[in-house]
Amino acid sequence: MLRYIGRRFLQFLLIIFIANSITFLLPRVIPGDPIREQLETKRAAAGNTNVDINAWVATYNERFGLDQPLWKQYLYYWRDMVRLDFGYSLFSYPATVMSKITSAIPWTIGFMSVSILLAFLVGTALGALLAWPSSPRFLQGMVPFLMVVSAIPFYLFGMALIWIFAVKLRILPPSGGTDPTLIMRRDWKTVLNIIKHAILPSLALVMYGIGSWSLGMRAVMVSILGEDYITFARAKGLPNRSIFLRYGVRSALLPQVTGLAISFGLILGSGVLIESIFNYPGIGSLMYAAINQKDYFVINGTVAIMVFCAASALLIVDIIYPLIDPRIRYGT
Amino acid sequence: MAIAKQKRLRNSRITPSLIIGIVVITLIILVGLLGPLFINPKMARVGAVEPNSPPSATILFGSDSQGRDVFTTIIMAIPPTLRIGIITGLISVLLGLILGLMAGFFPGWPDALIRTFSDVLMAVPALAFMILVVARMKRPNLVLVAIIVGFLTWPGTARSIRSLVLSIRERSYTLVARANGETELGVLFREVMPNLLPLMIASFIGAVTMGIYTVMALEVLGLGSNVIPTLGMMIFWSTRFAAVLRGMWWWWSPPIVVLALIFLGLFFLSRGLDRYISPAIPTTWSRRRPRGVSPKSEPATPAEKAPSAVSDGTAVLQVKNLQVIYETPAGIVRAVDDVSFSLQAGERMGVIGESGCGKTTLATALMRLSRPPAYITGGQILLEGRDLLSISEEDLRDLRLKEIALIPQASMNSLNPVMRIGPQVKDGLKAHMGKLSNQELDARVAESLERVGLRPEVANRYPHQLSGGMRQRVAMAIANALAPKVIIADEPTSALDVVIQKQVMLTLKRLQEEEGASVLLIGHDMGLIAQFADRIGVLYAGKLVEAGSVQEVLDNPLHPYTRLLIDSLPTLEGKHDLVGIAGLPPELLHLPSGCAFYPRCPFADEHCKGEAPVLQVPIDHRQVSCHLYPEHTALPPTPAKANILQA
Repeated sequence: MLRYIGRRFLQFLLIIFIANSITFLLPRVIPGDPIREQLETKRAAAGNTNVDINAWVATYNERFGLDQPLWKQYLYYWRDMVRLDFGYSLFSYPATVMSKITSAIPWTIGFMSVSILLAFLVGTALGALLAWPSSPRFLQGMVPFLMVVSAIPFYLFGMALIWIFAVKLRILPPSGGTDPTLIMRRDWKTVLNIIKHAILPSLALVMYGIGSWSLGMRAVMVSILGEDYITFARAKGLPNRSIFLRYGVRSALLPQVTGLAISFGLILGSGVLIESIFNYPGIGSLMYAAINQKDYFVINGTVAIMVFCAASALLIVDIIYPLIDPRIRYGT
Repeated sequence: MAIAKQKRLRNSRITPSLIIGIVVITLIILVGLLGPLFINPKMARVGAVEPNSPPSATILFGSDSQGRDVFTTIIMAIPPTLRIGIITGLISVLLGLILGLMAGFFPGWPDALIRTFSDVLMAVPALAFMILVVARMKRPNLVLVAIIVGFLTWPGTARSIRSLVLSIRERSYTLVARANGETELGVLFREVMPNLLPLMIASFIGAVTMGIYTVMALEVLGLGSNVIPTLGMMIFWSTRFAAVLRGMWWWWSPPIVVLALIFLGLFFLSRGLDRYISPAIPTTWSRRRPRGVSPKSEPATPAEKAPSAVSDGTAVLQVKNLQVIYETPAGIVRAVDDVSFSLQAGERMGVIGESGCGKTTLATALMRLSRPPAYITGGQILLEGRDLLSISEEDLRDLRLKEIALIPQASMNSLNPVMRIGPQVKDGLKAHMGKLSNQELDARVAESLERVGLRPEVANRYPHQLSGGMRQRVAMAIANALAPKVIIADEPTSALDVVIQKQVMLTLKRLQEEEGASVLLIGHDMGLIAQFADRIGVLYAGKLVEAGSVQEVLDNPLHPYTRLLIDSLPTLEGKHDLVGIAGLPPELLHLPSGCAFYPRCPFADEHCKGEAPVLQVPIDHRQVSCHLYPEHTALPPTPAKANILQA
C-alpha cells in the first residue's frame, strides 16, 4: 500500500515538475519580452512616446532576477513556487500575483462548489431514477433535454440566461459579484446580494452539470441493474427501495464520486469562461483581465495553481478510491 | 409484416442519435462549403454596413456595432471553425494511433513510457495550458493552437487502441495462429486493423469537439485573432461590446445557436457511433409488452392440453403449463414452453438439460423474477395452492425467501461486491422478520453461516475475499436463512471444481434433510443430479420431455433423449468409448416443427416431424412426451444409424 501511494506521489511530482518547467520555459523561449510590452503599453496609454523605457526594463529585469543566467532563474523559480510566491503583477505593480489570486479565489470556490454539488446531487439522483424501471414515465421524456444541455458548452447558456433574466425580465443582475454600491459587511443584506449575483452563472453550470451527471449515472446504473446480484436481491424478497439504494445506487456511486473529486480539482479552471461572461470577480475574471492587460506574471501564477489543483485531485482520487471501493486493493 | 419491419429498425445499430448527428453535421458542413459561394465577403468587413442595425429589408440579419453584416460573418466564420476542429482531430488521432499501437505491440518499456507520458498529459488542464501559450504570442495563430490541442488530446485515443491490441493479443485465435508459426506482429496487425476504423472515427469526433471547444474558449477570453472571423470571435466581440445588455439579440444569438448546433451534432454523432460500434449496450429496460403475446395478468385457465402433473394433496409447488418467452430482435423465443410438474413436500427433484434449453429461465420464472426481454406469458405456479403469478407484487415479495428461496449460480456476481457478507444475509432476514434487535439479527446471521459450514467471521468479509465454494455456501446460507418450504437451486456448482462441488452438494443435502424443504435442483450434470435427487425431470428445448423417479428413469428411460443422455455418462466399470449426442441442441429461435428433438432422434419418423408430442403417462408415475407412446410401454432398442432422419 505504501508502495502504491509512493508511486502515485512520484507521478504527481512528475506532473508538477513537467508542468512548472513548461510554465517557466515558455515565456523565456517564445520571442518577446512581457515587461517591455507592458511598459510600452503603459507609455502609449500615457501618451508620452519620448520616454526611453530601456532603463526601466533593465531595472525591472534586475528586480525580478531576469538578468541572471537561466539555470539560476530556474532554481529561484522553484524556490518561489514552493513559497507560493509568483512575483508581482506587471499591470498593477507592486501588487503581488498571490494577493490578486487570494482575493479572487473565495469567489470562484464559493459559487463553483455550490454549483458543482448541486448539479452532482440532482443529476445523480435523476440518473439513478432514470435507470430504475418503475420510476415515473415522464422522467424518460427528460432524456433528450438532458442530452442537449450536456452537449452544449455551458457558458453559451450564460448569454441566453443574461438576456432572459437580466434584460427581458429584469429580475436578476446581469454581471458582477455584488452590486457596485454594496458595502461588504457580515450581514444578511450582503449575503443575499452575493447569492443574487451568483444565481445566473450557477444556473448555467448546474444545467450542464445535471445533464452530464445524470447521463453518466444512468449508464452505470443500467449496467449494474443487469447484474446477477440484483436478481438475487429480488429473490431475497427485499423491498424495492432497499434494492434500489443499497444494491443499485451504492455501487453506481463509486465512479460518480471519482468524477466529483476530479470536478473539484478542476474548480479553478472550469469556471473561467462563465466568470468572464458574467464578469464574476473570481479566478476566471482575473485571468480574463490579465490576458487583456498582457499581465503575463498573473497568467503564469494562475495557471500554475490550476495545474497544482488538478494534479492534487487526481492524486487524492487514486489514493482514496481503494478505500471507498472494497474490490480494489492498493496494487498496481 | 409491419411489426417485423418495425422491429428490424428498432434493433438495428442505426440509432436516432446517429441519424440526428449525421444530419446536423452534414448540414453544417454543407453551409460551410457552399455558403461562401453565395455571399459577398466584403460585407463581413468592419464598416461594411450601417452599425447596430436590427434586421431589416436591406440588412437581412442585422449588423454588429463594428458595421459587419451578421449573416455574412456567420457564413464566413463556419469554415475556419470547422477547419480548426479537423486539424485537431487529425493530429490527435494520428498520434493516438501511432502511440497506441506502439504501446500495444511493445509491452515493455515503450508501453510504460507512453503510459507515463499520457498520464501526465491527461492531468494538465488543456485550456489553462493553452492560455499560457497563446498569451505569449504576438498575434494568436489559431492553426498552431489547433495543432497543440491535437498534441494534448491523443492519450484517450492511444489508450483505447492499446487496450484493443491487448484484448486481441489475449484471444485464443491469436495464440493458435502463433502456434501455427505466424509471427505475432503479423497476426496482431491482421486482427487489429479491421477493428480500428470505428474506434478512430469515434476518437476523431472527440478530438474535433475538444479542438473547437478549446479554440473557441481562447477566443472568448480575448486570445483570438481579430482578423479572421470565427464563431468564437463573434461571441468575443458581442460580449466585449455588451450586445446582450444592449438588447441586440440579432448579434449575439446567431453564433451561439450555430456553435450549439455544432456541439449537439458532434455529441449525437459520437453517441450514435458508440452504439454502432457496440450495439449490445441496452439503454433502458423496455417495459413494453411484446406484441402478439398476451401478458400473464389473470390466472390462466386450468390446464386443457396436457394432463397436469401428478397432482395429489401433498404437492408444495405445482407448476402448470408455464410459458416464458424472450423477445429478441430476431423474433419471439419460447424458452420455457408448457412446462408442468409438481414438487412434493420434502422432495428433492432434479431438472436436467443441456445449456441453452431454458434451465435458468425456468429457475427465475418460478420465483417470478423474469425480466425483460423475458416475459412469463402463461401458466400457473402454485405454492401451497397460491398462484405466484397472480398475487400482488407485495405479497410475492413477502413469500420470496420466506417460503420459496433461490440459490443462484455460483459466481462472483450473485453477491453485491461492495457490501460485506453479514449485511447481505441480514437484509434478507430484516425484510421478512422486521422486529428483531440487532444482536438477534447478528446471532441469526452467524447461525445461518455456521449451518452451511462457514465461520461467523465470514460475515465481515467482502465477496471478493471469499473462494468460489465459500461464496456458494453464503448463497445457500441466505436461501436457507428463513427455512423456506421450497428451495430452487440453479446450477449451484457449475463454477466450482469437482472436490468443492461434492462438498457443496453434501451441504445442500444436509440442509434439506435437516429442514425438510423441497428442493428443485437445476443443472446439466446428470451424475450430480442423480446422486442428489429423488425424482428427475428432463428439459429439452424449453419443454419437459420426461419425468420420473431417479431409479426408474436411469434404469429404464422412456424418452430417446434421456437414453442418449445416460449413455453419454462415463462409467467406472465399463470401458466403452464415451458417446455424445449427435447434433447440437436446437436454437430456440428456429425450432423445428413437430417434436423439437426429431432431427437428433434415432426413432424419428414423418409423424414426429409433423406433430409435436404432448406429455403423457404411459406407465404409472412416469411422464414422457414422445410419439412412441402409448404404443410402446418401454423404449425400444435404438435402431441402426441408417434410420436417422436427416433434418
